[in-house]
Amino acid sequence: MTARRSPASSKPADTLLRRARPLLGTLVAIRAAGTSTASTDAAIAQAFEVVSHLHARMSYHDADSDVSRINRAGAGTLEIDPHTWNVLAAARRLSEASDGLFDITVAPALAAHGLLPHHASHAEPAANATWRDVVLRSGHRVELLRPLHIDLGGIAKGYAVDCALDSLRRAGMHAACVNAGGDLRMFGDVPETIHVRHPLAPTQLLPLCALTEGAVATSAPYFSARQSGEQVVSALFDGVRRTPCPGARSVSVVADDCMTADALTKVVYADAAHAPAVLAGFGAYALLLDTDAAGRCRAKQSEGAGWRELSSELEVAAA
Amino acid sequence: MKHAPTWLIAPALAAAAAMPAHAVQYLSIEQAQKDFFPGADRFEPISMLLTAEQKGFVEKAAGVRMRYFRQPMWKVVENGRHVGWVVQDEVYGKHEYITYAVALDASGTVRGLEILDYRETHGREVRNARWRAQFHGKRHGAPLQLGNDIQNISGATLSCRHLTEGMRRILALHEAVLQ
Repeated sequence: MTARRSPASSKPADTLLRRARPLLGTLVAIRAAGTSTASTDAAIAQAFEVVSHLHARMSYHDADSDVSRINRAGAGTLEIDPHTWNVLAAARRLSEASDGLFDITVAPALAAHGLLPHHASHAEPAANATWRDVVLRSGHRVELLRPLHIDLGGIAKGYAVDCALDSLRRAGMHAACVNAGGDLRMFGDVPETIHVRHPLAPTQLLPLCALTEGAVATSAPYFSARQSGEQVVSALFDGVRRTPCPGARSVSVVADDCMTADALTKVVYADAAHAPAVLAGFGAYALLLDTDAAGRCRAKQSEGAGWRELSSELEVAAA
Repeated sequence: MKHAPTWLIAPALAAAAAMPAHAVQYLSIEQAQKDFFPGADRFEPISMLLTAEQKGFVEKAAGVRMRYFRQPMWKVVENGRHVGWVVQDEVYGKHEYITYAVALDASGTVRGLEILDYRETHGREVRNARWRAQFHGKRHGAPLQLGNDIQNISGATLSCRHLTEGMRRILALHEAVLQ
């Protein structure tokens, strides 16, 4: 492995700072390299402000967020924050491309499994409401064709990472990385190693890939799993069947932007067979980690419209 | 993406090269104090032991257990005037151990929160007092070598529930002893 240096190492005069705050329901960590401590500090503080604003607009839990306003509204038209509008527009593109495997309107199914809270103030959702009932109108308005509940969880997190990184770039940083609980995006001129968690032992880390610029998001059930009746379910839901996706897989997607990367992990999770074609449409790549009956970790990567098993190579390499 | 990324997972799996848990140091408590209150003249450490009564009050008001009778706290003085407080605290979950600092203004309103250290463990250690004890007083010295070269982890959906509980405890603590 050649890619372990920090982004600052290419410019020794840079100040490299790291900060972390609890936001978006997780820990948001920002690392940036700039010409001085003061400018880097200020750039990071500004990036946290950006994340904080997006958190307030798109939180499922916060009663004043656009998401809560939509969930309370029933059918009708609402004006929303331009950022929320951007995320809803991206969500719709992803739902279209994946035939609904990705669907922000699965929130009631998540709530039914105890993965999201019930809010008494929310309108009763129509049982058959889907992403098709969320229609984007001009003037940053959204029209709801039926009463529905949305949860922007992962996609909003990815969007916040993208906006925070843009903010750091505009502030003149030479290199930066924003990591919101495992959704990360970076820029710089030195490749870095991205690690993923072992799906069966989440504090064990495996090197995933080397990246200089771009985004990686990983979805795996290891931290979100909850007992629901007889079943252990994770927050990873199939948008078409409206059921939790089974298994202890870990899906990582590499894409140009973090919002797309996060949403596509859900598509791979819900339907691995059809996902590579969807990924290709977004210029994205996936790596799927699975474990076999013997507890060995197996990997496959998306390639064209299918998957290429890496495990057979592993056995050769191991032998 | 123009090109597929360089996947590194195959050689790692072949060599069974999983890395141990990782740790990041973000800020020292001194840096955090200056970030919260850049104009402060001094941070006066408050050396006090909570009484059992005060501890009971905090636990009842916050609805969370208070593990220690002593909490690192500083009174912030600017131009001879008391302008706020800095409280250092730690929380731990199943896999993570986090120290953080909270800034309060003189009336006890939260002005900011900064993570100081984040450490991951394999689970059992975090509940172990001896494991945790190795970090006390380490912040000002050499950083611990716990997978420190790992910069970027994808796939950590840590819940911030423990931090939320910690904040509640700090606000109750302010009510009990700092007002």
